[in-house]
Parts: sequence; structure tokens; C-alpha cells
Amino acid sequence: MNTLIKLEVARTLRNKKFMFFSLLYPVLLYLMISAGVKTDSPVGDTKLSFALLYMVSMASFGAITSVLVGNSERIAKEREKGWTRQLRLTALPGHGYVLAKIASAAVVTLPSILVVFASAAAVKGVRLETWQWLALTGTIWAGSCVFAALGVAIGYAATGDAVRPIAMIVYFGLSILGGLWFPSTRFPSWLKHIAEYVPTHAYAGLGQAIERGDTPGGKDLVILVGYLLIFAGAAAWLYRRDTHKS
Amino acid sequence: MTTTASTFTGDERRTGGAPVVSFANVNKSYGAVQAVADLNIELHPGETVALLGPNGAGKSSTLDLLLGLRNPDSGTVRLFGTTPQRAIEQGKVGAMLQSGSLMEEVRVREIIKLACDLHPRAYPVEQVLEQAGITEIADRLVNKLSGGQEQRVRFAMATAGANELIVLDEPTTGMDVTSRQQFWGAMRRQADEGRAILFATHYLEEADAIADRVIVLHRGRVLADGSAAEIKARAGARKISFDLDGELPEAELRQLPALAGLSMAGRTVRIQSHDPDATVHAVYRLGLYPRNLEVAGLGLEQAFIAITDAATAEEGGAR
Repeated sequence: MNTLIKLEVARTLRNKKFMFFSLLYPVLLYLMISAGVKTDSPVGDTKLSFALLYMVSMASFGAITSVLVGNSERIAKEREKGWTRQLRLTALPGHGYVLAKIASAAVVTLPSILVVFASAAAVKGVRLETWQWLALTGTIWAGSCVFAALGVAIGYAATGDAVRPIAMIVYFGLSILGGLWFPSTRFPSWLKHIAEYVPTHAYAGLGQAIERGDTPGGKDLVILVGYLLIFAGAAAWLYRRDTHKS
Repeated sequence: MTTTASTFTGDERRTGGAPVVSFANVNKSYGAVQAVADLNIELHPGETVALLGPNGAGKSSTLDLLLGLRNPDSGTVRLFGTTPQRAIEQGKVGAMLQSGSLMEEVRVREIIKLACDLHPRAYPVEQVLEQAGITEIADRLVNKLSGGQEQRVRFAMATAGANELIVLDEPTTGMDVTSRQQFWGAMRRQADEGRAILFATHYLEEADAIADRVIVLHRGRVLADGSAAEIKARAGARKISFDLDGELPEAELRQLPALAGLSMAGRTVRIQSHDPDATVHAVYRLGLYPRNLEVAGLGLEQAFIAITDAATAEEGGAR
């Protein structure tokens, strides 16, 4: 199983095109969105400046892009080509496959998070305590695993041409509902209640708590861990079941 | 590498041991298409068995069921007395699929190391590379290989550990003649170590040369099951051909003994006969002087066509 994890990580690193765009995309979005805005005034009731709030949003958004959309498409392609059928004929357990896919996704997200942080600090003058930088990096990185697991599950639930639209709908739906694009404080109250239980909202919430210097909310943590278990469980189950029919 | 003929006969190999594979009344349909119909097959340790049939005969479906990649609608599939999945987890089965592509962006050695690490009873990586004849291409990227090289990598994956059954779905597709011979040479060494081998093919000469037992599938059913010689015998006839001068005495030719088929083209007469000695004797007794006389057994290919045609005709008649 360790060999599979190492191999999945290695081949992701070898895929230079994928790495390049995964790194570039969030940082470009961040710089574009924050370009025309007065960046030091607080946004809504978040007590956070625009530059700071969007740093976490875009780092999270970028992390989700590569692990959710990238993962699901790559996996669906592997299924179509029959590699996962071959893998099913080994003694590899379902959770081994899911773990390897999450690990290979995590290799991409860490640098993409760091690039957004670096440009926020350099271009937008964002300043934080050392512990905050470290905690933010760790939280956003670890949190991206939830969406990597979701990506694996989508890659298994959908086939062929359906994968991209489904991944995109889930991805934009989660990003918008989670307040990664516009702060969820602007949502009507009924939507706010729903948004509170969306994994992206909990994900961004953890980051924002660290930016404010608060202890991250226990509720957000529980929500994220819950989603991780559900997504990873579904992915492992779909992996085991898949080849019976495809 | 040369291929040395194996001297095992079907009967020697069939003696002793619990069944490696057993299909009991297995059915599988996809919508209205019945891919596998009431299949009953038993394979025994050490047998080399060819699963022969035209495209759409149910070969791949049978192998998918055998490997637990699909579940039967009814009936049971057992490998070594347990479920296919358990048998695979125990490292008893190695398989080379027709459609299974390989992981991309990795090197040959890496993918073989993966197969070895995942196998509960693995061989050393270098040994697996050597046996499959891919040591020289071990550092190449898997997605840069030729079709034949890719097949050998798949074969290496299927033989990464001490399997007791090796399953191959059309393994030599895309290989040139030399690679094919090397491949079957490697396969024979596996068989000589006492492994059961089951391969699907539509190359009849492969089934004839390699398998000590041939199972002919047609429309999801077993049409014939025996040695290649038995199958040829079952098709019955041998073929006789000769040329005659002058008008062909058709009425008299039709009266020949042991006749199973007669066709005439120009001055050439082609006969299928259950007893060629008697038929040829009768030709001379008619006072004819056949030139360019040839008597030959039906190849497995013709036997195969004869058997499947007969089955199709029967089905048609029953409707």
C-alpha cells in the first residue's frame, strides 16, 4: 500500500502541466479579485480585511480546485482505461486506494496554498503571527483531504462525459455556499443556516478563526471530520463495487 | 528463446487435487443479451486450458465472472473453494486482462514493484522482470511502450507472485510472431511449475499448440470441452480433394460411402468424409482416375467452424 501511495505521489509530481496550473490558478484569482478592491477595510461582520479574508478563501478554493476537479477527472479516466480493473485483481484494500489518491492530491495542494500566502504577504502586505501562518497552512492543507476524498467518490460515481459537469456543479456549489467567493454574511438568513453545514463553510471558518487569532470552532472541526469519513467511506465502497458493473 | 513442446497430456494433468475453478449453473445477462448461459466448468491444478470462441461468445464475460469483476445473476463461481475476491486476496490468482491499461507516468520497474508489494506471496522484482523478458525496458515509462511490450508488462504483473492460477484474456493480441513465441515460452515455464493456466483466445493455432484442454464457447454456452485432438475428432470429417478429367460424374460422386460433404469447382472435387480410406477406394472402383489426390485432417479451425455451425443450425431448427 505504501508503494502505491509513493507511486501516486511521484506520478502527480511528474505531471508538470497539472502541477503548473494547479499552482497558478488560485494565486491569479486571488490577485485579480483583490486588485480593484480597497483591501484593508473589514468585510461585513467578519472583522477581517478583504486581503486577509480572500487569502484564506482563495487558498482554500485553489486547494479544492485541484483535488476535487483534478482527482475526479483523473480517476474517471483511469477507470475508463481499465487500470482500476487491473488494480482490483490485486490484494489492495479499498481504503488503500482512497488513501493513495488523497495523498497524491495533498502533494499538489501544499505548494498551491503556500504560493497564495506568499503573494498575499508580498503583494497585499498581509501580516500575521508565525503561529497563524503555520496553523493556516496546516489547517487548509489537512482540510483539503476532505475534498480530495469527495473527488475520488465523484470519479467513481460518475462516468465518462458526466464527470466534469458533475464535479463542476459540486465544486461551484460548494464554493459559493461555503462563502469562498462572497462572504456568507451577505446571504439571506435561510441560506445562512444551510451554508453552516456545508463542508466548505466549515473549512473556511477554521481558517478565518485562525486569522482572527481565535481558537478554531469545534463545530466546524466536527463537521469536516464527519464529511471526511462519509466521503472516504463512499469512495472506498464505490471502488470495491465499481468493477462489478463497468 | 525457443518454445519446447510440453509433453503433458490432458489426462495426466487432470488427475488429483480440488478444483481450481468451478462454475456451477452460472448465468449472466446484460439487458436482453445472455452473455453466459448455464455455464458449468471445472478446472484442475496443472491444467492449461484454452477458452475458445468467436467475438461475442462470452469469453470475456466468463473471465470477468471468474475473477469476481462481475457477479453472476444466478449460480456460483468458486476459486480454490472460496470466492474469487478471497482467492485474489490470498494471492492465488494472477490475471492479465484484455482491456486493463496500465498506470501512466510511471516506469516499468515501478509498476512491477507495486504489483510485487501488493502480492501476498510475491517474487523479487528483478526475477519477475527477468522472467517476463522486460529487464531491458525496466526504466522506460509505461505509456511509451509498444503494444507487445505493454502486454509483457501486464504478463509480469500477472506473475508477480506464487499464483496457483493464471488467467489471460487474449494475451498475445498486438504481439509479433517472435514476441508471441517468447510469450508462450514464458507461459510454459509457468505451467511446468504446476500452475493452472486459463487463457481466452480466438487464435485457433494457439489453442491447438499450447492448451492441453480446449473449451469451445458459443453464445455463452460450452459447445465442446476436451483436448484439441478430441475436438477435431468430434468435428468428424477429414477432407479429400482431387481433380478429374472430363465431365464430373456428380450423381455417382454423391453415392460415395462415408460422405459428409461434397463440393465441386471446375474439375476439382472436394469431399469431407468420415472414412477417407473407404471413400477413396470407392472413387477408384468407379473407374475414375483422380489426379493431385490429397487427404488431410480438418484443422482445429475447420473443426471449430464445423462445431459452431452445427450448433447455430440446431438452434435455428429448434425455433
